[in-house]
Amino acid sequence: MSTPATPLAGDFVSLLQRSQMALPRMELGGDGPAITQATTVFAFRFAEGILMAGDRRATAGNIIVTDAVEKVVEIDDSSLLAIAGVPATAFEMARVLQTSFEYYRRSQLQPLSLPAKVRALARLLRENMPLALQGVGIVVPLFAGVDHTVSPAQPRIYFYDPLGAQFQAVNYAASGSGSGTIRSILAFQERHGSPKPVEMTLPEAVRFALRLLMTAAEFDSATGGVNPEAQLFATLKILRATGVETVTEEQQSAALAGTDHD
Amino acid sequence: MTEEPYRWLEAIGNRREYVRDQLKGGSPVLAGCLADGILLLGVSRGLGKVFEIHDRHAMAGLGHPADLERIRQAAIDAAHLEAFTRAAEDVSLRRLVGFGLSAQLKQNFEQLFTAPVLGEFVFAELGTTPSRDLLVRVHFDGTYSVQMGGARVVAADPDEESTAQAALEQKWRDSLSLAEAAQQLLETWWLLQTQQTAKEPSPSLEERAAGWRTATAGAQIELGWLNRRSSRLVRYEVLDLNQLLPPPSP
Repeated sequence: MSTPATPLAGDFVSLLQRSQMALPRMELGGDGPAITQATTVFAFRFAEGILMAGDRRATAGNIIVTDAVEKVVEIDDSSLLAIAGVPATAFEMARVLQTSFEYYRRSQLQPLSLPAKVRALARLLRENMPLALQGVGIVVPLFAGVDHTVSPAQPRIYFYDPLGAQFQAVNYAASGSGSGTIRSILAFQERHGSPKPVEMTLPEAVRFALRLLMTAAEFDSATGGVNPEAQLFATLKILRATGVETVTEEQQSAALAGTDHD
Repeated sequence: MTEEPYRWLEAIGNRREYVRDQLKGGSPVLAGCLADGILLLGVSRGLGKVFEIHDRHAMAGLGHPADLERIRQAAIDAAHLEAFTRAAEDVSLRRLVGFGLSAQLKQNFEQLFTAPVLGEFVFAELGTTPSRDLLVRVHFDGTYSVQMGGARVVAADPDEESTAQAALEQKWRDSLSLAEAAQQLLETWWLLQTQQTAKEPSPSLEERAAGWRTATAGAQIELGWLNRRSSRLVRYEVLDLNQLLPPPSP
């Protein structure tokens, strides 16, 4: 109670530092064990908002560690993070962001703005630079948030480089080892397809996203893909101006089978 | 003067009297546990009285806004550090108040040459059922009491608070609807505000309903709701009184 306020009001990282609980900084060198990696994630704009998707596979070298990773994380009710890279670092970043955004909202009695959220992730990436440069803690995330400065509020997509540079995507972004395939298909669909991604309804967008992952998995062994017969689906989340919704495995199954309703 | 025990006791007594005097006229706050969550209520003139602390925690208080803010911030800091270093499930009111706020408030109160905290508080923790909900009444000197479920009144005057608490406990059921619960809390608030808690016979239902409507005209009625049925991690919601209890048509 008598302790001074955080140097930057509402900043949770400052609170951690003041409480001497700052995140440990690792210095690594030499050859280490194969690092677990998470791939492939993407986001695109559709008629109702933004769909953010990720396969469920994590690999370490040529080993499949698991096919049950959740790479699309709800940070708060108006932000999503998609993780590509080293999960150990990426999930910690997600946890810091979740706590930071809620801490700011509760302590300052107003939500953090979208530009501040985008920069908060950039700051974490910059702080992770030593590990990224050594190639053991690299994270290349995607971020989606709602811009409340325009009317009506609009969801937006951002992508980053490993050092923290942030870029706003117009209609889509992808990251991870399978992202080349995904970006190519998205570019083709946007230019020549019908419907274009931005015109798709929710069931169309879900089906399209699942097929994107299936195709990426054809060319990239680190991408888990989707296999309805094995009950293997993706993580799909929708960001609308009104909030976040998770697309369940039942909904994904129905979308692939064409038994959903457009 | 404080080297002598008698002087110290006298000084503490004066300080207690000073705080109570400063708190006079403070607008009461209330909290009650229901089947679907915990409702917190405060009536203010623009400055907040009901606040979210963490995913399952909220508080309401009366007193000096700067002191409410200090306590609110301390609770938020402690809850978020706990949730980040351990887990959100580990944030508990018993620890937050018992091992943190209470000791800090007591220390502050007994430091005679510092400004005392001018505030009275109730903290709420959402459980899995109403009987596992926790309401913690915290006083300006760090003393506190814990209750599971039920309803809790916070008023500046201890005697009026006790009378209103006893009356509310008799009427309170966790099966009340949200609208009924808000109505009961507002009626209790009005009885406290107009110092009618001990009045015999008690004002009629019609008088109470009209009374709180008149007394809250131009004021802001804050309703915080810790929603047990929500699937989200963050259970706190702000409710609109006009939707719960629409004003009577003219």
